[in-house]
Amino acid sequence: MNNVIECNNLTHYYGEKLVFENLNFQVKKGSILGLLGKNGTGKTTAFNILNGFLQPTGGQCLVFGEDTQHLSPQAKARIGFLIEGHIQYSFMNIQQIEKFYSGFYPKWKSAAYWELISKLNVSLTQKISTMSCGQRSQVALGLILAQDPDLLILDDFSMGLDPGYRRLFIDYLREYAKAENKTIFTTSHIIQDLERLIDDVLIIDYNKMLVQSPVAEFRSNFRRFDFELDNEATELKKEPFIMNIEKVKNKVELYTFSAESDVKKYLDDNKIVVSNFAQVRMELEDAFIGLTGKY
Amino acid sequence: MWKSVFYKEWLKTRWFMVGYTLLGVLCIGYLFLTLKHSFAFTGGKNVWFTVLFQEQQFYSLLKYVPLAGGLTIAVAQYLPETINKRLKLTFHLPLTENKVLLQMQAFGAGCLLISFLMFGGLFTGFSLIYFPIQMVTNSVVTILPWLLAGFAAYFMIALIILEPNWIFRFCYTLIGVFFLTIYFNSAGATAYASANPVLFILTALLSVVFVFSAYRFRKGEV
Repeated sequence: MNNVIECNNLTHYYGEKLVFENLNFQVKKGSILGLLGKNGTGKTTAFNILNGFLQPTGGQCLVFGEDTQHLSPQAKARIGFLIEGHIQYSFMNIQQIEKFYSGFYPKWKSAAYWELISKLNVSLTQKISTMSCGQRSQVALGLILAQDPDLLILDDFSMGLDPGYRRLFIDYLREYAKAENKTIFTTSHIIQDLERLIDDVLIIDYNKMLVQSPVAEFRSNFRRFDFELDNEATELKKEPFIMNIEKVKNKVELYTFSAESDVKKYLDDNKIVVSNFAQVRMELEDAFIGLTGKY
Repeated sequence: MWKSVFYKEWLKTRWFMVGYTLLGVLCIGYLFLTLKHSFAFTGGKNVWFTVLFQEQQFYSLLKYVPLAGGLTIAVAQYLPETINKRLKLTFHLPLTENKVLLQMQAFGAGCLLISFLMFGGLFTGFSLIYFPIQMVTNSVVTILPWLLAGFAAYFMIALIILEPNWIFRFCYTLIGVFFLTIYFNSAGATAYASANPVLFILTALLSVVFVFSAYRFRKGEV
């Protein structure tokens, strides 16, 4: 089985509000896929469906070939799940929580947990509720590493973390995933973090999927062209090859998957006179904003 | 794996259990100190007369103690599961959802049973110092619905806390209050003797209703 996750025609409504319709995506074994989308586009909804915490209105998600609405205990044992905000049983201390989880997983690797915990300045009896967000993130990550799952589902892992903890989290995770051939499906609001971690990107917008491809391929195929209009009042007609246009006074950013020649032809055909025309290199965050728009 | 589930439940409830057990023991202690005082100052005949012919329940102080236990243990066990939707962590454990829920419930109900058996043992033992076995048996028969009310309250609170929708919670609370009044309808000693088996069955049926709330949580009802 090459795909660890497979979602087919996934559709979900909250009441009458459509979240997404006929969403199809796959996560290959050993890959790290980042799900990107603006607030309210259904990222957490997708994570909840994947973990069986939400019944989709239509379609189906399979994890390890099993319908996520009826995951067997064996399949759940192979999935490490990080809830948004690094939620854990905060009434336990770091010793108790390790003891608790170790009883469920035959492959439990205590050393992986304690190695990460040793980097924190905490006592063994410190309750998780009294820890900082960064420390809690390390506890949650340590538990996942000790579980040694084949698939890691991480919902907004960078939430509430300072830059140091974010870097620690990502570096640990990437090294672990690549060394052990683990599959990761994740999301984060901080796209620079994701860029360090992921191989493939899935971008969703309201109701639909925009892109699923390797990050490098997306960054090389998705282009931004900046130019200045001679006449500020010029209306730029949006054609199918244009993904987005951001215009502030006479300065224009045009985003497209097409080549420079197509953009120039479009300008010529529409008799739009421009100056300072240039292709601008984009980081993943710029490309994401360019594709989905600022609003 | 059940040991790990019980371990988690124990961590959540242990101080509440200790506090509740102390409260129960103190109530029983106070009850029999008062009884001893009555025997000493008004005489055994008078006490027996009020208990036998005026149907005075010298143990009425205990009426709501089991109910308080059911409420306390249910809140201690299930409220932490709903804060930040931690129930997701519980459902993600490599067990079937119903199995983990029933293990949690078994732990809570088991704790209540142990405390009620302890209270019952203390009550019966002290009662036998002052009264013959027939009178003590009547007292136990009268107390039995109150003990069952403790279990019923525990099961209903689990149903209410795990329910994700506030309107449903409100409706369950109304239904719960209605159900619980059934256990406290009559004040007469042994009045419930014939109804106790029915109450027992009703309580047993209530023990699984919380699975419905958990099912709704899992389906993402809001």
